[in-house]
Amino acid sequence: MEKFFELLTQMNPFDLVQVIFWGMAGAISFYFSIGNARVWTSISIGFFLIFLSQAYGINPWGHYQKLTAFHYIVGTVAIMMITHGFLEYYVFCRTFEISGNKLIVYLSTLGILAASGVFLMINPNPSPNTIRNIRMVENAIWVFLCVMNIELVRKIYLAIKDSDISKGFIAFGLVFFFIFLWKGSELYLQIFQWDQDWQDIIALMTDESTDFDQYPARIQFSQEVRRYAGLLSGISVGGTFTYIYRLLK
Amino acid sequence: MFLLPKGNPLFENLAVTKLKLPDVLLKLSTGGFTGYSSFVFQTSTVILVFEAGKLVSALLEDRNGKRQNGFEALSALAELMVSSGSGTMNVYKLSKDLTMCIHALLEGETLYKAQELKLIDINSLLGKVKNDRMNGCLRIYTEEHSAMIFYKEGNPLGFFHDGSGDIESSSSESQKIAGLPGAKIDLFATQSVEEIMGINLLEVANIQKIWDTTVALHQSEIDRTNKERQERDIKAATLRLAELEEQVKVIVGEYVGKVGRGIVDKELSENGGNSCLIDEAGFAKFLAGIERAAKLLISGTNIKAMMEKLSSTITNARSES
Repeated sequence: MEKFFELLTQMNPFDLVQVIFWGMAGAISFYFSIGNARVWTSISIGFFLIFLSQAYGINPWGHYQKLTAFHYIVGTVAIMMITHGFLEYYVFCRTFEISGNKLIVYLSTLGILAASGVFLMINPNPSPNTIRNIRMVENAIWVFLCVMNIELVRKIYLAIKDSDISKGFIAFGLVFFFIFLWKGSELYLQIFQWDQDWQDIIALMTDESTDFDQYPARIQFSQEVRRYAGLLSGISVGGTFTYIYRLLK
Repeated sequence: MFLLPKGNPLFENLAVTKLKLPDVLLKLSTGGFTGYSSFVFQTSTVILVFEAGKLVSALLEDRNGKRQNGFEALSALAELMVSSGSGTMNVYKLSKDLTMCIHALLEGETLYKAQELKLIDINSLLGKVKNDRMNGCLRIYTEEHSAMIFYKEGNPLGFFHDGSGDIESSSSESQKIAGLPGAKIDLFATQSVEEIMGINLLEVANIQKIWDTTVALHQSEIDRTNKERQERDIKAATLRLAELEEQVKVIVGEYVGKVGRGIVDKELSENGGNSCLIDEAGFAKFLAGIERAAKLLISGTNIKAMMEKLSSTITNARSES
């Protein structure tokens, strides 16, 4: 517990606020998944997993590299779950088919996470470079699936725009827009090796140089976008679920 | 319609619907019956004349005075017995002479029909019968009673009235009927008995076959009517169900939006079509499906209101059908 509070005090206040908001959003979405229709389970579980993926900063055992890698894998599973949920919702809007049950969704999610854990355990300890690669893959998946989800949400909204819940999908569109900016800016920094992880790696482990100093403006801009979009994402997810909860009450 | 004096009654007012024509004719034939049998229906009267068990004459007259004889009359009688659903049969025994007079009368020609007695110069009419040396019959009748005077070559042969078994010489009954208010007369020219062919219609007509065909035709008519009624009922039920389905779609659409119609269509197809709306178990499943889908789209309050409206609409529709 002491270690946990030590980590909290060491964290950037902005990042801490972001984690707190994601914690609230995760709690709201998980609560939402319990009391609502099956199709919402994948979506809300996915948003809850974002909190888990973001919580590595306050994880007392976060210095274990396999655990850090696991946080990023959880982040990847999160957007896949969310996308699966919106795809199901879209299918429902077109065919009115509702299949499966909540327990299977919960168990499948646990199964995927357990399999990811096993994958990390049976493989060598990931290097900082490997962890960065995993994070980059996560961000790439997030960016492309965000674009896809914005399109899905648009189509769902058009199909159900005269129902009570339709405005909730506009809010989801906003959520994915913020997440796109958040993850997109992070991916942008990673692709051009301007991210903090790469700076740490080359400082300690390689003799590679960096052009970090040549583009201070765009790097600064991207970092700011990443910070604020990340914060807004967490706030908007919590707000959206609260809003939908009220719409469906 | 044609009303003959009643003669000596053997049977009166037998319900025709319980009788079979072949059985009736066989009974009268094998018993060597002489006289006539009348079948009185709402629209027609049929008279069958028997002489020593031979069916010598058959006449049908409808309420418009249109007549059919012989085979046609028998076929029509079979049809009336099968399809009319009412009617009575009377059997009156007569002497052979009177029977032959009736037979001749039925085969004869109508000269005057339903003439008001008080408007007729009866003396000049009788003078004409005498002068023309007519073979014929003067029927005097009211709604209830009838009497006949037969003439041979212009001379009165005798009288026939209710209760007579033979040609009688007393004219008192005829005079009594002629004195009743509303009495009318018919004048028929008859052929002489010698000219009438003594054909037994039972030998030339296959009564059993006529009867069977008529029964079969009637049955097929009933079947056809039943089928038409069933089709009409099905069509009406289909129409009612279609109206109910539309009402349900409007209600669901009102709460859920335009996807509501699609949700209703899908749930109906999964529960065996719109007939599930009036089936208790099917409707419960249908409602559960609608509620499950609505949970993804609208608030709990609206779901509750929608379900109540759907239930009351269906309950009303069920109670009306």
